[in-house]
Amino acid sequence: MDIKEIQNLIKFVAKSGASEVKLEMGDIKITIKTGPDPEATAIQYAPVAAQLPQPMAPVAEPRPVAEAAAPAAPVAETSKYITIKSPIIGTFYRKPSPDKPLFVEVGQTIAEGDVLCIIEAMKLFNEIESEVSGKIVKILVDDSSPVEFDQPLFLVDPS
Amino acid sequence: MRIIKLNAIDSTNSYLRKLCASNLVTDYTAVMAKKQTQGRGQMGTVWSSQTSKNLTFSVFKNVSAYHLQHPFYISIVVSLAVLKSLQFFSIPKLSIKWPNDILSENKKLCGILIENVLKQNKFSESFIGIGLNVNQTDFKNLPQASSLRLVTGNIFDLDEVAKQIIKNLKVYFDVLEGEHFSMLKTEYESYLFRKNKPSTFKDAEGTVFSGFIKNVSETGSLQVLVEDAVIKEFDFKTITLLY
Repeated sequence: MDIKEIQNLIKFVAKSGASEVKLEMGDIKITIKTGPDPEATAIQYAPVAAQLPQPMAPVAEPRPVAEAAAPAAPVAETSKYITIKSPIIGTFYRKPSPDKPLFVEVGQTIAEGDVLCIIEAMKLFNEIESEVSGKIVKILVDDSSPVEFDQPLFLVDPS
Repeated sequence: MRIIKLNAIDSTNSYLRKLCASNLVTDYTAVMAKKQTQGRGQMGTVWSSQTSKNLTFSVFKNVSAYHLQHPFYISIVVSLAVLKSLQFFSIPKLSIKWPNDILSENKKLCGILIENVLKQNKFSESFIGIGLNVNQTDFKNLPQASSLRLVTGNIFDLDEVAKQIIKNLKVYFDVLEGEHFSMLKTEYESYLFRKNKPSTFKDAEGTVFSGFIKNVSETGSLQVLVEDAVIKEFDFKTITLLY
């Protein structure tokens, strides 16, 4: 088992939602634990038999830990962003009408009170004004798609 | 009553929106146009109307004091205000085709386009666009459209009709302010087009089925009695009544 395979395994376990995975293959035993905090993902990697050659052990121990922290990085980054959520259920529109320009685009600076989108519900057209100022980092919903109450719509960088 | 009259404008709702930004607008301020060059209907559709023959106007209402949980009540209020006004002018066989078209018998007289603004996640302002066919007599390629003149034979004064509607908007918004929700919903439901009649519908996948319109939910979805005594709820986008 090489480093790449171990990295993939860690990623797979992190995504799977399992809290702990133990794996034994021949002379290798791997335990991957994921805590509620993704950064706490710990890895134990040790050969079963000490007498067997263990060329990977010194490398494997620190590296997977570093890798395990990687998926956590985007989470930490987004925490400084503000999520704008849908105040109502309906259909999300990014334009006032199909032939008009978009209300906002990624990278655009918005001010409090700027219209971000329209959410149509039962033929009522509801314009959603921004409560915050900042820069649009991400638009989380496709144009003309249905949205639920409280569904995240935009990520805004307030800095 | 404050009515701003224009000869021609792109859209009365858009004009009122801009006017609102200048703080010159109070509740029930209305904008009337003889001609709309870009009259709008549902998302991406147009509202066309012959110059000076019909009413195309928009009314402003601040709704921030209502703590609206269900914005569909704005639709109910406007539908009832228009229907009651047409009753006042003795228009026969009036009904509300869900969610907010006003019909006489089975012909559409009036379309309503409501645009709300949400500030701080609360419904704040309502721009109510009303397109009412009044004195127009020919509707080419629109077999399901009619006008007050066509159904009664009489010519109507546009200002008089508009004033009556604005008056009734005030009456019904006051009922909403008093939070008489069930009263409004019951009255709205009593005028539902094809209520309790065997009707044919088409769902989002294009499947045709039959059922009976019963009522509406608080959120405005249509409750239809279908096979096996089941009542199904439909969102505006997911059902079309064939008539």
